[in-house]
Amino acid sequence: MKKTLISGAFVRSKLFWAIVAELLILLVGFILRPDFLSIQLRTLSDGTTVLFGTPVDIFNRASEITIIAMGMTLVIALGGTDISVGALVAVSGAIALKFLRWDVLVYTTPGDYTVQPYYLVILLPLLTCTLMGLFNGVLIGKLKLQPIIATLILMVGGRGIAQIVTNGKQFTTQYTPFKFIGNGSFLGLPLPILITLVVVLTVVLFVRRTSFGMFVESVGINPNASRVSGLRSDTIIIIVYVLTGLLSGISGLIYSSRISSNDSNNAGLGYEMDAILAVVIGGTSMTGGKFSLLGTVVGSLIIRTITTLVLYFGVVSEAIMAFKALIIAVVIVLQSEPVRNAIAKRRSKRIALGGEARA
Amino acid sequence: MQDIILEMKDIEKTFPGVKALDRVNFTLRSGQIHALLGENGAGKSTLIKVLTGVHRMDAGTILFEGKSIRPTSPMDAQRQGISTVYQEVNLCPNLTVAENIFIGRQPMRRGQIDWKTINRRAHELMLRMGMDIDVTLPLATYPIAIQQMASIARAVDINARILILDEPTSSLDENEVRNLFSVMRELKNQGMGIIFITHFLDQVYAVSDQLTVLRNGRLVGEYTAQEIGKLELVTAMIGKDINEIYNLQKAQPGEDAKAVLDAQNIGIPGKVENISLQVKEGELVGFAGLLGSGRTETAEMLFGVTHAAQGSISMHGEVLALKTPLDAIRKKMAFCPEDRKRDGIIADLSVRENIALAVQATRGFLHPLPQKEQQELADKYIQLLSIATPDADKKVGELSGGNQQKVILARWMATNPDLMILDEPTRGIDVGAKAEIQRLMLEMCHEGRSVIFISSEIDEIIRCSNRIIVMRDLAKAAEMDGSACTQADILAIIANEGTKEEAV
Repeated sequence: MKKTLISGAFVRSKLFWAIVAELLILLVGFILRPDFLSIQLRTLSDGTTVLFGTPVDIFNRASEITIIAMGMTLVIALGGTDISVGALVAVSGAIALKFLRWDVLVYTTPGDYTVQPYYLVILLPLLTCTLMGLFNGVLIGKLKLQPIIATLILMVGGRGIAQIVTNGKQFTTQYTPFKFIGNGSFLGLPLPILITLVVVLTVVLFVRRTSFGMFVESVGINPNASRVSGLRSDTIIIIVYVLTGLLSGISGLIYSSRISSNDSNNAGLGYEMDAILAVVIGGTSMTGGKFSLLGTVVGSLIIRTITTLVLYFGVVSEAIMAFKALIIAVVIVLQSEPVRNAIAKRRSKRIALGGEARA
Repeated sequence: MQDIILEMKDIEKTFPGVKALDRVNFTLRSGQIHALLGENGAGKSTLIKVLTGVHRMDAGTILFEGKSIRPTSPMDAQRQGISTVYQEVNLCPNLTVAENIFIGRQPMRRGQIDWKTINRRAHELMLRMGMDIDVTLPLATYPIAIQQMASIARAVDINARILILDEPTSSLDENEVRNLFSVMRELKNQGMGIIFITHFLDQVYAVSDQLTVLRNGRLVGEYTAQEIGKLELVTAMIGKDINEIYNLQKAQPGEDAKAVLDAQNIGIPGKVENISLQVKEGELVGFAGLLGSGRTETAEMLFGVTHAAQGSISMHGEVLALKTPLDAIRKKMAFCPEDRKRDGIIADLSVRENIALAVQATRGFLHPLPQKEQQELADKYIQLLSIATPDADKKVGELSGGNQQKVILARWMATNPDLMILDEPTRGIDVGAKAEIQRLMLEMCHEGRSVIFISSEIDEIIRCSNRIIVMRDLAKAAEMDGSACTQADILAIIANEGTKEEAV
């Protein structure tokens, strides 16, 4: 048997083609503008050094989606969807800003202060989003509602709750520790990248070091057989939606920190679709079952790379969505089973021929 | 002699690592019912899939009515006149029977679908199959047997010259099978060639003219139904003497053996009622009865799949409150369900994961079985049950039916149960695997475990059981001694010709 650098099974996998697509998009950017891929180390005015450059920016700005998509991967592996994540991002930001400026009638101008203790500013949004995740989980796991219907409630209601929390107002803050979450850096890397790394690693370890991942896949593939084999599918479903709620909350903190403000209408808008897309591009099937967290990370990077590319080359903002859709269409076609198999076949033929020629 | 309509010559097909077909020949004549036989993995399905264009053959020729063909897809094969009806009904349950028969080729009239013609012709077609039903009702309103007839009606109406029936009888009862057979004979008389795949040897003899036997991807031989006896046929299929396989020793629980399971008057109003049974240590209790007689419902109650609203279930003298199967597993019960695909295998997970699943479920996900132990567990049972798989990482869905069943058995044996409930563990699997599973059940009894064995095949119940419970009309009809009853006794009870006591 002739050994090749990359195994045939890997060439047939969606993950491989996701990576190829990402590299291709980067290459296009590089050809159009060679500085697209440049990375520099810069020293800021306060003396810290940070990595700069489009690739760093892509990783940085992909954080919000990547973090949510970790949960979404498990949700989809269970055969569900969670369309409330974007609204939860808004809830998270609204609560954080509410506590930073409470009471806004007294503290009328934004500044470098927090009115309520900082730990509450961080914990309460996360707790609220976790509880909202629990709400989703109970509706789906215990009451057996269809996931898309169950999460539709908070998709619509979440933004309403966010509005109520802030009385429909948009607050801003200049509180440095809060702004640090989305804009700060540590060890030369923007903080969102580090948060994302920690989240991804934690989820991967939780899922693969315990049997949780196998249970999720089992329930996603065959809920009946899983139940007969002794799995408590309701518990598994609830944990997954709770986790997704928590992750949406983290994502919301990063987002609102970046803009130093809450925005109940636009925060996290469309995140549910981006997260689902990241999962699907990453090779996890919408029908549930086997999932790939690593694939989801690549999927999320692809989406962000496309957005960055489009912005970088000054496409008029009205055309951004259409442009994005076009590139995503190409990526998905490239990943479709017939195309993948056809390419893998041609490749194996070529390898076989090459082998004979040399023999 | 009738004309040859299909000739497959020197067909070869290799999958990575396996030679699935090795120079196989197969000939079908018009007006012939030709049974294709062999164990799981013998190459029957591969041969059919080559013929219907699911797989491309690596070498060989297919002559269909004298012309060389190479079907590229099932649609293509169907267009050429080769129709297939699969084991599972592949129709849309929410459409009407008529719509299902004509889907994709609805007759049009002035640019609109001609519903009148569709419904009339569908009714005629079903009548021809001996089914006078309302074809305008959704398919799902009818039992599986009628659904199957509808898929045959569909296949036949597409101008088919060859009809392939792949395990069509596995979900039918005796009457329905008889009905299917008369339809098959009718079609045969109209000159169609029928390829019939089944595991039921009696059915092979009841309806087939010609038999072709495959083993390990090779042709063993072609026989007429008259020239080969059942024993000889089985020997040809498995390559071993059948008696060697069926040398089973019943378990002999002692007189003073303790009761492991004791169920008193359990039931769900409107489903099954008032079932009492006891299973002793090392005993094998057989459940006989027709499909739908309450056997599966009883088993599901015992295992907590459904909740027994009445009565009590105790294990080792302790009364159980079973809410989920997990509760039953924790009390050392195990359950191989009847519908392997729906309730048994997790198709996309590996053999290893499938075997470890129930053990892992009792430990909870926070206490994962170390990878190494998982592997050892899998290897142990792959060897013990001789599961035919290249390695433990193969997806279970890619194994043959018999091997899937063994994987599920392994999953439960790994939990070291005191009581194993097996619901139709031998259905749809070949003779060799069947005998192996029977032997495994008896071995478990010899080790002092108890087994409840549910089966529609009375002879295997008699062959294995110490005690037999006969179910009829969602209730327990009789309980008999396994060593002192005959097939006729059980049949009499099932057919409600008076219980044993009444007969005396």
